[in-house]
Amino acid sequence: MNIRHIAQKAGVSVATVSRVLNHPESVATATKEKIEAIIAQEEYTPNWFARGLNFNKTATIGLMIPHIMNPMHMEIAKGVEDVAQHKDYTTFMCNVEDNVEKEKQYLENLIKRRVDGIVFISSLLGEKDLCIADEQGIPVVMIGENRETLKYPVVRVDCQNAAYEATKHLLEIGHHDIAMLYGKKPEIENRQKIEGYKTALKEAGIAVNDEFIISVENTIEGGYLGGKKYIDMEKRPQAVFATSDLLAFGVIDAMKDNDISVPKEMAVIGFDNIRMSNLIEPKLTTVEKPLHKMGVLGARLLFDMIESKEKEEKQPPKEILLQAKLKIRKSCGHKERIGEMF
Amino acid sequence: MTNMLTDFVGLKMKNPFIIAAGPWNRDGSSTKKGLLAGAGAVITETIVSDAMLDVRPRIAYNGFGAQNIRLYSDIQVEGWEHEMDIAKSAGGIVIASVSAHTPSELAYLASKMEKFGADAIEISVSNPAKEGLEVLASNPDVIFDMTREVVSNVRIPVIVKLSQNSTNISRVAKAVQKAGGSAVSAINSVRCILGVDIEKAEPSLPTYGGYSGVPIRPLGLASVATIAQTSDIPICGVGGIDNFRNAVEYMMLGASAVQVGTAVMIHGFERITEMVEQLEEWCDSHGISDVQEIRGKALKNLKSFDEMKIEPAISISDGRPCREGCNECVRSCVYNAIEKTGNEVKAIGDRCTGCGLCTSLCPIKKLHMKW
Ligand SMILES: Cc1cc2nc3c(=O)[nH]c(=O)nc-3n(C[C@H](O)[C@H](O)[C@H](O)COP(=O)(O)O)c2cc1C
Repeated sequence: MNIRHIAQKAGVSVATVSRVLNHPESVATATKEKIEAIIAQEEYTPNWFARGLNFNKTATIGLMIPHIMNPMHMEIAKGVEDVAQHKDYTTFMCNVEDNVEKEKQYLENLIKRRVDGIVFISSLLGEKDLCIADEQGIPVVMIGENRETLKYPVVRVDCQNAAYEATKHLLEIGHHDIAMLYGKKPEIENRQKIEGYKTALKEAGIAVNDEFIISVENTIEGGYLGGKKYIDMEKRPQAVFATSDLLAFGVIDAMKDNDISVPKEMAVIGFDNIRMSNLIEPKLTTVEKPLHKMGVLGARLLFDMIESKEKEEKQPPKEILLQAKLKIRKSCGHKERIGEMF
Repeated sequence: MTNMLTDFVGLKMKNPFIIAAGPWNRDGSSTKKGLLAGAGAVITETIVSDAMLDVRPRIAYNGFGAQNIRLYSDIQVEGWEHEMDIAKSAGGIVIASVSAHTPSELAYLASKMEKFGADAIEISVSNPAKEGLEVLASNPDVIFDMTREVVSNVRIPVIVKLSQNSTNISRVAKAVQKAGGSAVSAINSVRCILGVDIEKAEPSLPTYGGYSGVPIRPLGLASVATIAQTSDIPICGVGGIDNFRNAVEYMMLGASAVQVGTAVMIHGFERITEMVEQLEEWCDSHGISDVQEIRGKALKNLKSFDEMKIEPAISISDGRPCREGCNECVRSCVYNAIEKTGNEVKAIGDRCTGCGLCTSLCPIKKLHMKW
């Protein structure tokens, strides 16, 4: 069933059906009602075939991925792609590799290919770079934060509160000397995590030890190097809060190589809850970022804009803040099983 | 003929029966079935931003009540656009149940469902599985923020489903009202473990879940009455409604409308048709001209503990002969106050303390509290 069949059944032209779908006010009431009745009878959602009428659409979107090697980005990308595929859109995935110039180049290429919209994950670009999309009327959506807050619709995660909860968890277990190993990227989110960490320490009456706050590349190798630094400290921390699971994996690896038992001698907590965090030994306690959901919602915001270009209607909210939740497993020495389940 | 029309939060329902959120309303065509069976409205299974695969197994039933660890609709939001069209094609009222963890996430979902054609929103952040020991709905501040954000992003009525797993349900109901919510539903299923197979040392289901069906009705009734006595927000009664009488009970304690879940799951949609017909017959035979006259009728007979007057009532038989061989009242009287001679029982005046238990145990209801 397509628009032609509907038109045939109603004995009108394809253009008339199209007008009923897109500008119903311009069609005579009797004709409109007749066509609508046929559409209802076929249990068809107008949007399903209305798209076929948009000759100026390419049915493609772009997705900027900071680093394809980071499993966290793969899960977000899958969320975006799931929605796009449902809409019969093809997604061009661009691997930015944390390189501003590469991201700019990809943006230009996507625009040349006339994509209908672009989703950015933790973009390195600012409004100045992004205005070329605006000029072409190409909708843009942000997932996660990296540079200062932009004017575009965004799906964010409350990293500060999650980091606060994670630090509190370490404190409740009885750790006192808690270190923070943070990745250089994504900047804003990691800054929020540091804030949450400091707040929890202050509330517990513990002075923040700047020596414990170390920045590294956001990779397993970065985590390993950071872990080594903590091991070599005169006064070692009892626990490490890493701003990503990849960093936490590196820390745990460093501990293993130096015969330091996790969690007995060193507790390690991560952030993101990528799939592998459930597979390493010990299973990683971490903060569950709703990765797939971030992708799904980012894509939804984008399609809201793509689809609303034709229709004037009340717009759904443009900023969605998601919650990240503590996922208690084995790497911090927590005994209560119930916490693991919930 | 009784007028069965029920105006609930502005929804013009043909009767007060709503089919509760659950897998029996998992998509457009199942929702349509409930409407065709005669329900005044239906509520979709709870829709979330990112649908997940269901666990298996997830529903157990022990002949009295059910436990479920069913965690929301497995259809993505995109799919609900089409499902909602199908559901609405029966011409009835469809309420979208939505759940999320933050106000903005919830508001986004709700506004999508409004766009797809939902007639109202039910916020369901009271599911006792997965969400842990403290359901979101137990915190009045959280409920206030969530409700307000949803209310300010949709034009349709917003109902908030409450949980019996909260210390002060009345405070939560007031938060809903203050935030601009149109009504509350009470109650969602109650955190439970249905039972343990003692031979295998195995719980009925592998994790905690929500208890529903007949056994939770007394909890639902108390919740509804409490909300009715402490606020004036419209209430939808839910929990253990198995026949039309149970619906009348909820309404008499202050509910404007009622929801039915487990009874539909176990007995099929025919159960709704039956309840609608029987409620109408009952109202007719009681000279009730409008079904809403029932609402709150029992509240005036519901006293607080302090208000109860202590009457010197004792158990008195109405003189009919006992059922052959029955010894229930004698055996169960903890005060040793009942004596049986032949086919007659008698409470000894100075031993009977008027507890009243025998009047509910007597199989022929011949004992009454009198003084
Ligand atoms: C199998 C099952 C699934 C349910 N799913 C949902 C749901 O998705 N959302 C919701 O708000 N309530 C859900 N409920 C709760 C019901 O809507 C209702 O509040 C509860 O079961 C009490 O009513 P009842 O005794 O008539 O079933 C579910 C209940 C059952 C038994």
